[in-house]
Amino acid sequence: MKKLILAGAALALMTSTALADKFLLDMKGPGAGNPFWAAVEAGAMEKGKELGVEVMVMSPPTESDVAAQIAQIEDMIAQGLDGIALAPTDPNALAPVVDAAKAAGIPVVFVDTKGTNEGVTFIGTNNEVGAKLAADYICGKIEKGSEVAILQGIITQSTGQARASGSKAGLEACGMKVVAEQTGEWDRAKGQAAMENIITGNPNIKAVFASNDNMALGAVEALKSAGKLADVMVVGFDANPDAAASVLAGEMTATVAQAPKNMGAFGIQALVDLKAGKTIDPVIDTGTVLVDKSNAEQYK
Amino acid sequence: MLGNSPRLSSFLEHYGIVVIVVVMMALLYATRPDVFMSLANLTNIIKQNATLALLALGMFVVIVTAGIDLSVGSVMALGMMCLAVAAKAGVPWPIVVLIGPLVGITAGLVNGLGLTVLKLPHPFIMTLGTLNIARGLSSLITEGAPVSGLGREVRYLGQANYDFGIFPPPTGLPASLFVVIISAVGMWFFLNRTSMGRHIFAIGGNTHAARVSGINVDRVLVYVYAISGFFAGLGGLLLAGRTDSGFPLAGQNAELDAIAAVIIGGASFFGGRGTVLGVMAGVLIMGLMRNGLNLNNVSPFWQQILIGLVIIAAVYIDVLRRHAAVRR
Repeated sequence: MKKLILAGAALALMTSTALADKFLLDMKGPGAGNPFWAAVEAGAMEKGKELGVEVMVMSPPTESDVAAQIAQIEDMIAQGLDGIALAPTDPNALAPVVDAAKAAGIPVVFVDTKGTNEGVTFIGTNNEVGAKLAADYICGKIEKGSEVAILQGIITQSTGQARASGSKAGLEACGMKVVAEQTGEWDRAKGQAAMENIITGNPNIKAVFASNDNMALGAVEALKSAGKLADVMVVGFDANPDAAASVLAGEMTATVAQAPKNMGAFGIQALVDLKAGKTIDPVIDTGTVLVDKSNAEQYK
Repeated sequence: MLGNSPRLSSFLEHYGIVVIVVVMMALLYATRPDVFMSLANLTNIIKQNATLALLALGMFVVIVTAGIDLSVGSVMALGMMCLAVAAKAGVPWPIVVLIGPLVGITAGLVNGLGLTVLKLPHPFIMTLGTLNIARGLSSLITEGAPVSGLGREVRYLGQANYDFGIFPPPTGLPASLFVVIISAVGMWFFLNRTSMGRHIFAIGGNTHAARVSGINVDRVLVYVYAISGFFAGLGGLLLAGRTDSGFPLAGQNAELDAIAAVIIGGASFFGGRGTVLGVMAGVLIMGLMRNGLNLNNVSPFWQQILIGLVIIAAVYIDVLRRHAAVRR
């Protein structure tokens, strides 16, 4: 009996790969390089299995390799496929190739990062709302008028922009004094160095918002070695497993979770809907959640 | 243009770069007198540039032979990942701390052997290859996930801080400073007081002449790249200790910072010329500039532009100095 089921499953798999619609998820960086992309990939694969369509996952070999991503999509359009869910490394640079896909009759949606093409649905986190969520959390925990700092990501990227401006607007709205804004380029060591410089120049800060968890964890190390971790609260963004562990250990205070699995899953669902001739919303929010000690366990 | 005093000219030839460091420190002090000379800030500058100093020392030996090692940033990340995974797997710490440097030496040997055995036309090519290979391996080891929590002993060199009972607690002299000092003094001794060191300079001055005079050029080159790899691995150990983490994207573009520090420090890209003191000054110049710009909240875009200008200016000053020396 077991053998029969296995054989049946194998047959089903073979026929489905031969006949099923073929969708491409093209991410900014490899799932192997970043747990975030790994989750986007997993969400898309699961959804593909559920809907019985074939999902291929690609990415440039290194994050932000724009030229490689453009070449990949061009090659895939040439081969022919039924839809593309794209996380553009650079929205402007990818715009022409997205237009080319649409001209070839291939539906496209953006996941994670919004592109510039008109009429293409964006499925992802509203980073400004997420950063504001973090800012509001900080506002509720420390005194009005306190000095606070922001560790920015790479602010030539829209995600970096949105998190920097969303957090700044949120912190200023509740009367905090933003005394330093420096970039850690999303990198743990660079975030740590930036934080060391910030606390040296501004010894009175009470909180720091780091635009991603890598930099937040770097900031924690900087505060630890300066003996100031108890005085400065650290809030990050992404809720990666290391950050969740740090929150549980009482080092980072909080972080903001995106729902990367939703991005992959909603992306494939949207493409299937488009293929079936349905209309979809221009923006689909995958949501953000504040993660502190009370709910960090599930992100570990 | 530097006047006719041979003594002044000789002083500038040897210590001009140190004068630049002092001038920069004075400038930074003038812009942020409250912060720049504070113990905390000076400690920061040391901690933040220790890894770069090690990479630059390794790069220096390579550049003296008129070579280049583009792989140091990736090899550093590879060493970091290997030792972080080993630490997590419960390998005893005395072995873990050796893993970084050993991975570095291995990568360096691969570079050296690729260059000499495969006879690739220029080290740029071999090390460009290993830059990519080592970066790929770093990500492959954990499927790209960072590894945190390395244990106190493993972190020691990168994180320990000696206050000697005189510095107020968060400040002091970081252990990484002593690693850099020992490395720099060792490198000076090796290059200036051993026959291998003199051979290295000879190869950089004129490879053909060195070969004809009986130096086993290939063997020396393999050693040179192994040394560069060793320092990259040691840098990985320091950075892992400092951040309490191994992450596969560590040290991206660090090779370019190392090259810049060596060149700013007065070493010749054509080989055969440069000093350890100059390299250390080059590292300090890069570090002071970043620190000063950060303290003054200068945008990162301007920082890049200024660093580019300083590289060009520093080498141009060197060119002028040399012209002056030759005309005399």
